[in-house]
Amino acid sequence: MALRPSSPASSLFSKKKQPLTTAASYLSAVHEADQHARARSIDRSSSPTPNSTPALSLSSSVTASSEDTVLHEDDESGLNYPWTPPTSEQVFSTVHTEFGHCANESYRCVSQHDYANPVKEKEIEEPPYYILITTYLSYLILICFGHVRDFFGKRFAKKYFTHVMSHKGYAALNSDFDSFYTRRLKARMDDCFSQPITGVAGRTVVTLDRYSTDNNWTQIYTGTKTRVLNISSYNYLGFAQARGGCADAVEESIKRFGISTCGSRLQGGTGELHGVAEALVAKFVGMEDALISSMGFATNSTFIPALVGKGCLVISDELNHASIRTGVRQSGAQVRMFKHNDMENLENLLRDVISQGQPRTHRPWRKILIIVEGLYSMEGTLVNLPRIIELKRKYKFYLFIDEAHSIGALGPHGRGVCDYFGINPRDVDVLMGTFTKSFGAAGGYIAGPKTLIDALRLRGQSGAYAESMPPPVLTQVMASMASIMGVAPPTSQSSKSGVMSTPSSTSTLRLGYIESEEHPCPAPASAIPSWLSLPPHLQDGSEGRTRLRRLAFNSRYLHAGLSKLGFITYGHPFSPIVPLLIFNPGKMSMFARMMRARSTPIVVVVVAYPATPLVTSRVRFCVSAAHTKEDIDVVLRACDEIGDVLDLKHSHGERWAVDEICKRSVELVEGVAAVQAA
Amino acid sequence: MENALPSSSVSSTLEPVLALLAYSLTKLETGFYQIPGSAVVARYVKSSHQNDPGRTILEVILIIFAIRTLLQSRTRSDRGGKHYIQFGDKEVDELVDEWTPEPLAQPLTEWEQKELASIPVIAGPNGPKPKLVSTGKTVTNLASYNFTGLAGNEHIKERAVDTLRKYGLGSCGPPGFYGTIDVHMDLEKDIAEFLGAEAAILYSQGYSTVSSVIPAFCKRGDIIVADRGVNYAIQKGIQLSRSTVRWFDHNDLRSLEDALQAVERDRKKRKGPLTRRFIITEGIFERDGEMVDLPKIIELKNKYKYRLILDESISFGTVGRTGRGLTELYNVPASQIDMLVGSVANGLCSSGGFCAGSTIVVEHQRINGTSFVFSASMPALLAVSGSEAITYLRNTPSTLSALQENIRALRAVLEKTEGIAILGHRASPIVHFSLRSVAPASLSPASAATPAGKESFDVDGEERILQEIVEDALANGVMLTRAKYLRKQEMFEPRPTIRIAMTSALTRKEVEKAAGVVKASIARVLSRRR
Repeated sequence: MALRPSSPASSLFSKKKQPLTTAASYLSAVHEADQHARARSIDRSSSPTPNSTPALSLSSSVTASSEDTVLHEDDESGLNYPWTPPTSEQVFSTVHTEFGHCANESYRCVSQHDYANPVKEKEIEEPPYYILITTYLSYLILICFGHVRDFFGKRFAKKYFTHVMSHKGYAALNSDFDSFYTRRLKARMDDCFSQPITGVAGRTVVTLDRYSTDNNWTQIYTGTKTRVLNISSYNYLGFAQARGGCADAVEESIKRFGISTCGSRLQGGTGELHGVAEALVAKFVGMEDALISSMGFATNSTFIPALVGKGCLVISDELNHASIRTGVRQSGAQVRMFKHNDMENLENLLRDVISQGQPRTHRPWRKILIIVEGLYSMEGTLVNLPRIIELKRKYKFYLFIDEAHSIGALGPHGRGVCDYFGINPRDVDVLMGTFTKSFGAAGGYIAGPKTLIDALRLRGQSGAYAESMPPPVLTQVMASMASIMGVAPPTSQSSKSGVMSTPSSTSTLRLGYIESEEHPCPAPASAIPSWLSLPPHLQDGSEGRTRLRRLAFNSRYLHAGLSKLGFITYGHPFSPIVPLLIFNPGKMSMFARMMRARSTPIVVVVVAYPATPLVTSRVRFCVSAAHTKEDIDVVLRACDEIGDVLDLKHSHGERWAVDEICKRSVELVEGVAAVQAA
Repeated sequence: MENALPSSSVSSTLEPVLALLAYSLTKLETGFYQIPGSAVVARYVKSSHQNDPGRTILEVILIIFAIRTLLQSRTRSDRGGKHYIQFGDKEVDELVDEWTPEPLAQPLTEWEQKELASIPVIAGPNGPKPKLVSTGKTVTNLASYNFTGLAGNEHIKERAVDTLRKYGLGSCGPPGFYGTIDVHMDLEKDIAEFLGAEAAILYSQGYSTVSSVIPAFCKRGDIIVADRGVNYAIQKGIQLSRSTVRWFDHNDLRSLEDALQAVERDRKKRKGPLTRRFIITEGIFERDGEMVDLPKIIELKNKYKYRLILDESISFGTVGRTGRGLTELYNVPASQIDMLVGSVANGLCSSGGFCAGSTIVVEHQRINGTSFVFSASMPALLAVSGSEAITYLRNTPSTLSALQENIRALRAVLEKTEGIAILGHRASPIVHFSLRSVAPASLSPASAATPAGKESFDVDGEERILQEIVEDALANGVMLTRAKYLRKQEMFEPRPTIRIAMTSALTRKEVEKAAGVVKASIARVLSRRR
């Protein structure tokens, strides 16, 4: 655990102490931006909205908000200020700790499938046998120790075991068998999970320091904080920001619409923003219509039961998310699973189930729905969409793609797997996704043909029972989405007849949908509310494009770098999720602790059984567009050193030294496979 | 171990191959003996062989069988089962060609389309007097959950903006992976302290809370005794739990006691092991506004040794002196309720839900509550709004008394209205009313034939009449809503009602006026029908 002493020196001093040679030029850029901000704040102060906390809301620059965004600390970690001076505009619009400043145009890449020369997913490498054997042995030892401790604990330390033993005529609250894993294995490394944070979970995050004196039974908070490099949050496009155009729009919407919509969509909780946002989402994903739900998990768990029912079959990838399983279980449909991403297995299964029909009765299925994820959150693997679409033409099933992780993160336009593979989204029946990840918001959507979505509005559980999405969240969705798409300037009258200006036919839940000519098109100016004004670099989509290309570069760089270092990684090179295999359970917690104890502390996510198979414990990096190339270097260097200590480098491929990797990053990203120009 | 020596009779072309074979075998043998412990294995094999080939064959078969079982795919296949029919490739192709699936969604019926079109869309902020997009007019809102008038509270908005500027909007992660923000912990503590519970856990959607809490504790083989009138989320939670369920009559504690006794008798007869047992009910029922007799139910649960899961989604933030819910109203310590589920979205006008209980109960959900573990945590500014709302409720008990006064005013007017029956408890902030008489015979010949019993009602007919009332009231400036359900999916079909959600943000005069409008609308529609 990294207990960094918090320095009493003010941020002003720490800035002067900067060891960087480029500090002077950086400061001048900051100064310039600050001048801008002040000039703007004078303009703004004439508006009648008084603000109780001017330091918080008026200026967007780093210096004015040092209290909140920059801790009083020395910048030894290199987290607060960039190594290379940013462009003035970046300083003006973003805070380096939230969204890294990276002006080097060569650190960009385009996420697009090249059919002639496809980027191959890495083949899954097996570790040496001694690793497997020691892994099984460590679990065996842990289990034996656990049972011994349980045996004595239940007899001599009863107060810790009340919930797993029946007492006073009550059965045990938790079965001691079910909770064994949690109590005896997970509890040993609880300090690596559920780490509380404060502030924005952007490029860096501030963690609340804590320690435990009783083997993680309780955690004691020291009251100090540490700023760490965050390579764990699902902040793919870096929209988790407290400053900048999106946050400004959200602030405006809070003033205009308040916090809550007070009720479910069908019972007095529908606001005008719902319809606007849904039309924009439909346009973004290229579907006819879309429906928004206030929680990502609930999007799956409440709408799948409305799609299938008794007499239907759901064919589900074996690694599908828990929310999909919850939804399918509620629906009453039969479920069959196929091997993860194994198209041959899927086709055999399809031939089998269609020819056999329903079990026992042999009646034909009413419908067959295949549910897959675009990007798998634990593996970083991409669905083989072109093949599934081929199968779909032949076997006439319906296709549901959960794009929770892929939407925004993949494709040259950020429109998810369909965009990445260049497939028309209308070839898919239902596209589902969440706003938590790439858009820095919350909740989820489901998109499809209008008849289907209308049916879901009424027949899905969310419409009648669940609270609708609050206006600030809707605004964040619209603002971030519009800045990825870019807003087309209003051209002629045609846009007048567009989305916003149809009050005659209102009183419907959604607003009119404009047939798009070509799919990945910018948002028409009429598709976002008139009060939502984005700064120019978001408005024209240039910032969005940069973010997409930075994300693609960072993802490929980390993938390539880790495998050149000799680690076993999973996943697609364009996936922002990069799992690094650790295998031994003991090394897992060590890895997380050692990453945190470095001079530039890094927080990582470690996952083990039951989220993964027993042996393949892993650390999962989530790359973001907010990371700079230097951040990825820092991660690679950390992995390199820790990997040597923990003996994690078991890959057979060619190895490079870490310095060489950092130096030849561009070559590495482009060299893995020919990358087509944008 | 046998050595395969090349015999002289083999032709010379095969010789090098055989030599290689022999060489590799000896290599293998020496290699095998180099592995530590291999001598033991070899000795075991030799001694078990003991000139009994039958035994060796048996053991080999056993090993092969074990390996096969281990390698068998986890995906269940009924290939080779009793009902499996063998088809040739061509036949399968034909069957695939012949198969035509149903459309993914049945198109909306005319009535459903009308229903969808009739949903009022609010322009600007929601509140006691919102503006509608369709007409541009301001209406009195008796439909939205704004019980204590927190929607549009300026102080909360200010705090939300401050939070936005410090935390951004989304949390970008599930609570386990850097999605736990300090403001979440603050709100959890605030809720726990407000209720007087040991701890609380925050879910990011109110609706998904209880349907995740139930399966976190109730497992296959456990016993659930639940009210027939519980809301849909509880029904889904019970379904997901796969426990044995026994239903008792809606809000009838005698029926509950009968059910508890029946379970006890059953257990004694079967002499089964002690299983977990739960009573699941709502504080104030979402579907009719009835209120549960909490002290009595706690007495029963203690007597029969059950755990109580109480859904206070409606009652939290709306009843009791400061809105602490039923526990405050009945003066029962919250520790008596094992799992107290509430809604931050309804009661505190923010978003999300919570479950309060003992530390053990709460910590268990942090790993086992599916919609907690697998979902991103709530945006920070919504958590702060929740905390601010609690502070507001603590400091201004007058809003709760204003709410109660408004409820009384509303009920006073509606009770004098002919043709409707008002349901629910008199303190309930949601007031349901249904049509009093059976629907006119002209509308539903089928139901008219059946005697007008207690449970017989014509859903479609009554819904149409109620919808007319809703539309008539809206035309006169009062926004109402029918209680919406997923018809034919609810466990027990509820009678169609209009649901009024009262708010403290309206003055008594305004409430009386709005109630008068509703009364007039009812009279108008019913008279037109007759």
